[in-house]
Amino acid sequence: MRKGKITALGLALAFLFLFLPAAALAGGNAADGKKVVDTKKLGNCAACHVVPGMEFPGDVGPNLVEAMKNYSEKDRTMLRERIFDERKFNPDTIMPPFGTNKILTSQQIDDVVEYLLSFNNKK
Amino acid sequence: MRRFFHFFFKDYLILTFAIGLLVAGAGRSAFAGAGPASGIKEYKQNISTAEYEKRYNAVYGKFTEQMAEQGNPAGFVLDDGRDLFKKVEGSAGKSCASCHGENGEKLEGVAAAYPKYDPAIKGINTVALQINRCRKDHMGAPELKYESYNQVALELYVKSLSNGVPINVSIDGPARPFYEAGEAYYYKRQGQLNMSCAICHVKYAGHMIRANLLSNNRHHADHWPGYRLKWGKTGSLQKRFRGCNKKVRAKPLPFQCETYRDLELYLTYQANGLPVEVPGFRM
Repeated sequence: MRKGKITALGLALAFLFLFLPAAALAGGNAADGKKVVDTKKLGNCAACHVVPGMEFPGDVGPNLVEAMKNYSEKDRTMLRERIFDERKFNPDTIMPPFGTNKILTSQQIDDVVEYLLSFNNKK
Repeated sequence: MRRFFHFFFKDYLILTFAIGLLVAGAGRSAFAGAGPASGIKEYKQNISTAEYEKRYNAVYGKFTEQMAEQGNPAGFVLDDGRDLFKKVEGSAGKSCASCHGENGEKLEGVAAAYPKYDPAIKGINTVALQINRCRKDHMGAPELKYESYNQVALELYVKSLSNGVPINVSIDGPARPFYEAGEAYYYKRQGQLNMSCAICHVKYAGHMIRANLLSNNRHHADHWPGYRLKWGKTGSLQKRFRGCNKKVRAKPLPFQCETYRDLELYLTYQANGLPVEVPGFRM
């Protein structure tokens, strides 16, 4: 009885370790990403960037609708790193290190990447 | 031999570095002229005063016009400050007016030179701090709680006696290390958002963050205390500091602490030459 329980627990753990990274790699959800981008307490991206559908965008950072035309699927990793910590590319950047300083979770950053990459697929 | 070479090489490196520093320092003071060399790599101000004022009016002109028509709400605070100035308080049986003139005539223009170094406190003295020191030392009255209504009112009245007088803050001699400390704080990255004051108000001054204009650091110290719509009340420059700290998710500091006084000196020096204009009105 007791042994069965332990085996079940072990199986559950193995399941977690096997499938969690897979789930993370599967990437984000664009709709959730839009929420993160547009929410003031989360990404608040419109404070500095032009993003779709947000009025009175800031002009500190590049226009993301325009900038994304230069990004495609192959830039996914770089895009993610830029959001995670732009200092890697530009040491004196004003952009907050969303990943390093835990402003957003790993999942939220994946969602944002997914949302940004979706700009180019829109007709 | 190897050891000798090693030492020689190290010396050579240090020497090169020292020469580099000297050259950099000389270059800086030759063309900058404005700030003292504190070892900080200053940003170049992104926007001219004239251009900043133009943009400010484009963004906030409507509010300013409305305020001009209806009057600055801080005007009432100023009136209360005048009454407080004449009110006898404390064990010495004196009011501010007992020493400084019926309406504070002897203080006219004085606040334009504040903050300034004071050997008695071995640090930077602000108008707010001086008022409390006066109350304690000369009136035998309790110090006013910073940012309380009466404290802001009295500070506002004393500063208003310098209205129109060009700000003339000195950073020479003993004030200099405090100025440099203020500058260092201004350039320090802080908070979860990892921003310095300078990156927004020097490097990106004049840009928009959503519907708000990033102000130019030359225009920070000339109009406080003032009424801020967002607060719905009259407050001081240091209340604004705390707001900025919180916005980048950094820890705000206590009012009139050493760092904030140094920062106030740094910012007021940037405003040198501009007339004192209180009470201000901001969004």
